Amino acid sequence: MEILSLFNVALLVATLRMTAPILLVALGGSFTTKAGIFNIGLEGQMLVGAFFAVLGSIWSGSALVGVACGVAAALVFALAFAVLVVSFRANEVVVGLALNILAGGMTISLMKAIFGTRGSIVGKGIVGLPKVQIPGARDLLGSWAPLINGFTPMVYVAFIAVPLLVLFYKRTRLGLYIRVVGEKPEAAEALGISITRVRYIASLLCGLLAGLAGAHLSLGYITMFTENMSSGRGFMAVAILIFSNGSPLKVLAGCLLFGFADAFSLRLQTFGFPSYLILAVPYLVALTALFALSYRSRPKIIRETLESMRKLLSVDNKPAETGKQPLT
Amino acid sequence: MNDKLRAFSGQIVAVVIALAIGAVIIMLIDESPTKVFMTLMRGAFGDQAKIAGTLLQTTPILICGIAACIGLRGGMFNVGIEGQLFLGGFAAAWVGFAMPLPPGLHVVVAMTVAVIAGAAWVSIPAFFRTRYGTNEVVSTILSNYVAVLLTSYLTIFLFKRPGGWSETPPILATAYLPELFAFSRLNWGLIIGLALALFVAWFFRSTAKGYSISMVGSAPKFAEYGGIDVKRQGFMVLLASGAVGGLAGGIETLGVHHRFMEGFAPGFGFDGLIAALLANGSPIGTIVTALFFGALRNGSLLLETDTNASREIITVIQALIILSVSAQVLMKRRGDSTAGERRWKF
Repeated sequence: MEILSLFNVALLVATLRMTAPILLVALGGSFTTKAGIFNIGLEGQMLVGAFFAVLGSIWSGSALVGVACGVAAALVFALAFAVLVVSFRANEVVVGLALNILAGGMTISLMKAIFGTRGSIVGKGIVGLPKVQIPGARDLLGSWAPLINGFTPMVYVAFIAVPLLVLFYKRTRLGLYIRVVGEKPEAAEALGISITRVRYIASLLCGLLAGLAGAHLSLGYITMFTENMSSGRGFMAVAILIFSNGSPLKVLAGCLLFGFADAFSLRLQTFGFPSYLILAVPYLVALTALFALSYRSRPKIIRETLESMRKLLSVDNKPAETGKQPLT
Repeated sequence: MNDKLRAFSGQIVAVVIALAIGAVIIMLIDESPTKVFMTLMRGAFGDQAKIAGTLLQTTPILICGIAACIGLRGGMFNVGIEGQLFLGGFAAAWVGFAMPLPPGLHVVVAMTVAVIAGAAWVSIPAFFRTRYGTNEVVSTILSNYVAVLLTSYLTIFLFKRPGGWSETPPILATAYLPELFAFSRLNWGLIIGLALALFVAWFFRSTAKGYSISMVGSAPKFAEYGGIDVKRQGFMVLLASGAVGGLAGGIETLGVHHRFMEGFAPGFGFDGLIAALLANGSPIGTIVTALFFGALRNGSLLLETDTNASREIITVIQALIILSVSAQVLMKRRGDSTAGERRWKF
């Protein structure tokens, strides 16, 4: 019974809440992934986003300005990434890691310089994001209302972004360009699409969403900034991007899995499981998913076996489906 | 040789550019760059004890750097050295306090267990990397977090020193790595690190195995046509890299802290990776870059008390160095579009 009481509306709500930041950053990464860039720098972009969001919020007294500052900082990092990787053709892993390290060192240094403290910024007039109340939600859904009601705006942005991205890749010219550049750069070149420009745009779009994710971390449900508060979410997003190949719906599925793991592990903590092991759960989920799903890309033997089996089955089924023998 | 000279001058230029940008940043946070750099120098080389402290910080960076070099030469990005360091450190401490053995042998056994722990920790990402092509950068980074939390759990919940906080019982005196001087905790770890660097350099330069590893790293297709079992070799490269990472942790535990504690070696794994990248994957070059980063790290301790800057400013400088190394490809060979990609594929 104890275990069953873990599963209720509150857990679902917590899942959605936990999913939002990683979903935002992973959707951002989907732009770069689709454009053929391996972007390990998401972590750093998210971190500076979180820091400057807090800074902007304190400075202006408005959460919205805070979010704008966070996004701007993340965009600067994304631009630096793009300049080095796209224009200078530097190794993307090296640049991404270096930018992550830079983000960590820079936020801590600035925190010391501006606030004279180490560790975290709490209080000091940080204005958090408001909770959105949807009128009529409570009457309509009763006790299920928290599922759509009372989140911070970023949660809605994250989930609405998923269908928008699906449409973006399928229906818009830029979306198509990004995919072509990622999948067949030669074709893009032959069509006269500027690979450089498309990759810059993809990087900046990625920075935009990573900045929003960071702002959500520090101005969303907790209004504070702590050292390295992105705590590997950017890397988990990269893991999701690897096995989803940047497709928005698969990204959503992966992120929901993480959100659930996060929410569930927080619940377990209240049951007295050692917190250190609980905290490791999301990373273990990421690793397991990464390893378990990597069979798809390789080895070829499994994939080819599956494919040939499917072919065999479909050949057998075809006559049965149509109900008549094909003309010879 | 000309190529090497050019690469070397490139690293120097990168360091200078990074220091210049660092100076601007220091000015932005209202501090004088000369004062910060003088404090860094004083903190790193001010007196005998400071120099020994610098060498003490250099040791783990050097060994982690060698671990990174092995991976980079073989075309593998082992970003999980930090995790291997933690596991190696814990494993060595465990042998140190839980397993009474005669002096001498105790150190050897503890080191061996640390090495095994490091290799075992990387073996899962290594297996999936070589068998299924799972990106090793992401899997090793994520396993870092698990390693840190796992060792914290083991330390605090299973092996806590009675009355202590987040540390294991001290290791037995028989497992101490002997110290070099009376006035510092500087120990044989440095000698081991230097010997290892020379050995790895010799290995890559003069043995057939070393050559074949470098070949896989620089031209995997060619190596495969040449009859090298690329997968098996990639697995062994990652394993060796992880083993050296574990060794670094063991040396920290047995030589410096004489116990395992939470957060006992923060960032050494990443510093090592940066040192190896700056040295372009050369173990001998890593000695120089590790010393440089060790000096920065030791000097930064004084930064905290004597200036307004925080010690993380050196992390910023390190990151800037790597960024400017990777950026300067443009200045050299703009026409060759793949020059930058090749630069890090040794």
